[in-house]
Amino acid sequence: MSQNQPAIEVSHLRKVFHIPQRDPGLGGAVKALFRPRYAEKVAVDDISFSVPPGEIVGYIGVNGAGKSTTIKMLTGILAPTAGLVRVLGRDPHKERVANARQIGVVFGQRTQLWWDLALVESLNLIARIYEVEPKRYKELLEQFSYTLELGELLAKPVRQMSLGQKMRAELAATLIHEPRVVYLDEPTIGLDVVVKEKIRAFIKEQNRAKGTTVVLTTHDLGDIEELCSRVIIIDAGRVIYDGPLATIRERFGKYRGITFETARPLEHPLTLPPGAEVVGQEERRLELRFDRTRASASQVAAAVMGQLEVLDFSLSEPDLTSIVKQIYGGALSEARPV
Amino acid sequence: MARYASLYGLFLLQRFKVLLEYRLNFLIGASSTVFVQAAGIATLWVVMRQVPSLNGWSFDELLLVYGLLTASRSIEHMFADNLWTIGRQYIRSGGFDRFLVRPIDPLFHLLADRFNHDGIGNFVIGTLLVVSAWASLGIPLLPLYVLYAVLAVLSGGAIFIALNLLTATTAFWIVESVPVTRAVHEMHEFAKYPLSMYHKGIQAALTWLIPYGFASFYPASYLLGRDVGWLVWAGPAVALVLLLVAYRFWLFGLRHYSGTGS
Ligand SMILES: Nc1ncnc2c1ncn2[C@@H]1O[C@H](COP(=O)(O)OP(=O)(O)OP(=O)(O)O)[C@@H](O)[C@H]1O
Ligand SMILES: [Mg+2]
Repeated sequence: MSQNQPAIEVSHLRKVFHIPQRDPGLGGAVKALFRPRYAEKVAVDDISFSVPPGEIVGYIGVNGAGKSTTIKMLTGILAPTAGLVRVLGRDPHKERVANARQIGVVFGQRTQLWWDLALVESLNLIARIYEVEPKRYKELLEQFSYTLELGELLAKPVRQMSLGQKMRAELAATLIHEPRVVYLDEPTIGLDVVVKEKIRAFIKEQNRAKGTTVVLTTHDLGDIEELCSRVIIIDAGRVIYDGPLATIRERFGKYRGITFETARPLEHPLTLPPGAEVVGQEERRLELRFDRTRASASQVAAAVMGQLEVLDFSLSEPDLTSIVKQIYGGALSEARPV
Repeated sequence: MARYASLYGLFLLQRFKVLLEYRLNFLIGASSTVFVQAAGIATLWVVMRQVPSLNGWSFDELLLVYGLLTASRSIEHMFADNLWTIGRQYIRSGGFDRFLVRPIDPLFHLLADRFNHDGIGNFVIGTLLVVSAWASLGIPLLPLYVLYAVLAVLSGGAIFIALNLLTATTAFWIVESVPVTRAVHEMHEFAKYPLSMYHKGIQAALTWLIPYGFASFYPASYLLGRDVGWLVWAGPAVALVLLLVAYRFWLFGLRHYSGTGS
């Protein structure tokens, strides 16, 4: 593979599910047998992107946006309805086995370990399935035991592990054959901050040391902030943002938030200085944001206080969560880097 | 091939480690089948005390039929039990996807994933029944006969597995495939007795459609020197064709799965 060939290339990717429709009851079942009806569900509409080797890219979007479906096509589990996928130059579905040797996948909600086997036995089996050279396997096992703190877990079967232990074990299992491309579908779901930190550190380390390409799906933007320099945001099966994390920050970072607690609910529309707008309002709370290049906090505060009795107010820096909320909310034309 | 054989060995080894951990479970599982079988044989024995021969077959001859079928079925029970629960345990939960991201054949992975020790009891009983019937019927211990019997049990096992593979593949469409598998599998009950005692239609069905007859009646007839024609030699070919058909259907189902997901 040439140096500048992308690790992952996706172009006009599309996946439509046909969901069988059935009327209730026996009659419905019989009818469905003879004249099946289907509802179409476009899970991935038209997605294109490419990932260079060694990059960690965050792949985010609201529930049902099509993230997992994309990953299933990238791993070869699902065949695309249309469009092209290349992973390390291969079609992952048509060359499923060759592709499988080079990739690792974590589906955060499921385990790939054997429920009843001690972790070390599971790892032995996986190493044999991937034909990891025994000496190399030993080295890696030692390394992973150290970085993922597997020590006392090795003798434990998965069924006796806590969620955090399970995920550490899962990562070891996914990376034991040193895949060049790794897909992590919600690897930190349900974990506490300490374990999240460990897992992020491990992913970072693997990426740095081996140049592993990583596609990371998550609802935890902390993962993104810590790991990804690039983010792809998708919505309803389409890419709505693809660019550096820094650009999102810059574009949306120019907004600051200001929240007021008022004595009475707001009754009539506010007159605000240019660049300021109301973004949220409930009972006696009023959320505004303003463009700091066009207005200052004191201008906004003064304007509001002149029209309402204010009990308290606070200023906030925009965090990634609120930025992304805005993008999900439809501010995409502004978010797209030009 | 060698790689798969050694992988299977490793799967098996791990499985037995787990079973040893649940020693009691293992013993209960492997011996519970003994009781089930004992009940079946007792029934046969009670019936045979009333009528000394069933359609011209003596008790020992019936035991040979029964034993061959039991041994055949135990092969499926031991090595392919996961076909029963593919929908419930792998497809519904999405666990099947795991097989598809590994660099080995997904069907091999599915089967190797769980060797079922409960089948061991059946295997032992089936073999014992065949051996004891063999002895009491005075069937000569010729290498040809022994080889024939071994091949018959293997072909019978393959027929059991192929039929379950055919029916289990429906899980790719309907997920819960157990009722379909059971409906076909239960037909093997007929094959516990000589086919010659049934109506022609049932005989044909158990020979050409759901050919469990090749796991019991036909090989038993050969060993007993009963003339049922060339069909006594057809078992391995039937098994092979059925396996091929079932595997093609499996691949077709797999393609459907990659279109629809779990
Ligand atoms: N096998 C399937 N059959 C039918 N519809 C499906 C299937 N898999 C996913 N879908 C639908 O496709 C859409 C995209 O699902 P997908 O799982 O890719 O979303 P996601 O972005 O991963 O969401 P989440 O954040 O909740 O994990 C959803 O509307 C989902 O209901
Ligand atoms: Mg998902």
